[in-house]
Amino acid sequence: MDLSYLFYLSSGLFLGWSLGANDAANIFGTAVGSKMVRFSTIASVACIFVIIGAVFSGSGTSRTLENLGAVNALPGAFMVALSAALAVYMMVRIGITVSTSQAIVGSIIGWNIYAGKPTDLSTLAQIVGTWTTCPLISGIVAICLYMCLKKLQKCSSMHLLMRDQITRICLILTAAVGAYALGANNIANVVGVFIESCPFNPLNFGKVLTLNSLQVLFLLGALAIGVGILTYSHKVIKTVGNNLMRMSPTVALIIVLSQATVLLLFSSVNLHNWLESASLPTIPLVPVSSTQAVIGAILGIGLIKGGRGVNWSIVGKLVVGWVTAPLMAMLICFISLFFLENVFNQVVYAAN
Amino acid sequence: MFNLKLSMFSGTRELEEKIDQMHDKIIESTLCFKNAFDIYLKEKRSINYRRASKKMKQIEAKADDLRREIESQLYIHNLIPDLRADVLQMVENIDKVINEFDEVAHKFYIEQPDIPVQYQGKFRKLVNEVSECAENMAIASRAFFRDFTTVRDYARKVYFLEQESDKTWAGLKQDVFDSDMELAHKIQLNTLIGDVADVADRAEDCIDALLIFTIKRDI
Repeated sequence: MDLSYLFYLSSGLFLGWSLGANDAANIFGTAVGSKMVRFSTIASVACIFVIIGAVFSGSGTSRTLENLGAVNALPGAFMVALSAALAVYMMVRIGITVSTSQAIVGSIIGWNIYAGKPTDLSTLAQIVGTWTTCPLISGIVAICLYMCLKKLQKCSSMHLLMRDQITRICLILTAAVGAYALGANNIANVVGVFIESCPFNPLNFGKVLTLNSLQVLFLLGALAIGVGILTYSHKVIKTVGNNLMRMSPTVALIIVLSQATVLLLFSSVNLHNWLESASLPTIPLVPVSSTQAVIGAILGIGLIKGGRGVNWSIVGKLVVGWVTAPLMAMLICFISLFFLENVFNQVVYAAN
Repeated sequence: MFNLKLSMFSGTRELEEKIDQMHDKIIESTLCFKNAFDIYLKEKRSINYRRASKKMKQIEAKADDLRREIESQLYIHNLIPDLRADVLQMVENIDKVINEFDEVAHKFYIEQPDIPVQYQGKFRKLVNEVSECAENMAIASRAFFRDFTTVRDYARKVYFLEQESDKTWAGLKQDVFDSDMELAHKIQLNTLIGDVADVADRAEDCIDALLIFTIKRDI
């Protein structure tokens, strides 16, 4: 394998690190923030399940990004991933949790514009469509779960301490599901642009398990996400924390569960195939934003409570971040590709 | 697996039991206080009153032990971090109410005030209202752990009883100072009436805090 490939892949790994640092806050930020679960415990669980989700269920969403823009030169792929990572990193530094999915879409469009390739508008529409449907579905799921749990709370006479202890265990379990869904859905953002030029050989773990070349690439990306979770997510949790709305542990649980459900819906190949075979409208396999899913869930619960308790100025700041992040990624990508091609003499796109 | 499950929840169950016992103690102390007061009116500082006062002390000592155990269990075993400050404050409030009952009973024992017959009815009424107020506070506090909607119902009862006790206290105070008793006697009775009425105020403070905890915990 060419070592330069690993160098180029490093930008994807940096993006993976940013995603781990940024999105882990969505999965278990509230659990850690409310001191219900220790950071080290839940971060380790999340790392393991992100890897499992990415390696074994990550292929579904990768196709969609390929359709949007098949980045056909390795230096170009490097810059696409780096631009997205830089955009996410800058936003995280100023305390706004943004969507890696949106940043990578912005970067790919930046590459398309620079390379003069047409952007597949139907795929773009499909992806942009999920930016509204994802928080919407998440909000609806959160409202349903909220109402069910509220009814359950009225019927059950379980002691509050016991309820909290069960919530604590559920938070760890849902963080595992959320991490699995994040790995499955978002690995395409991290290494999707490198699939075309993937040089890895299949990897055998004795006779127990064999990973194909794509899965090896996903494994590397997932490891980068894991490192991001372990090294930086704690800081993001502190920065973003519970600013948007004060949450009880039960609400935190509902939010993580809603987010995991939405991410699984948008990445499950089996569900997609089943809906297709039953001639039902399918859910597109698109890498969606876990941040948007979380915000959708929080707003859903906030609205059912009559809108009180929601910090609307932070919501506004987040929405501005969502618009800014893809635009910023697109701009960074376009300018950086120019420098990479003209200053460093790298081929950033192949003509055919 | 089963053992693991049991050990995961055993600490919580133990704590639940201790908090329940703390609530039992406040109910016991209200009943004991009412009983002690009745004995005092009939027999003044008799052996029976001494026994009742001693029992109050024992309840107070047991409540102190329970409070300490709950505190250590909450912090040493790192249980329910999000809730522990609230639970701790609640337990401390309950303990303070029990302490006040004990202090007032002891004051009667030490000072041996002479309560003229014409004021005994109103005094008894005040003691009953205050005891009922503390009892309802304990029920509300217990309900906080199982049924939030009930907390509000009992909180209303506590507020009502506290207002009633305030009225009784004001009436009794006026009667005492309108009487022909010696000034020293008037002041002594007035202080004791105030001490009894303070217990209801303390119960009201507990309910105020409890209602805030309920809002915080309601999903």
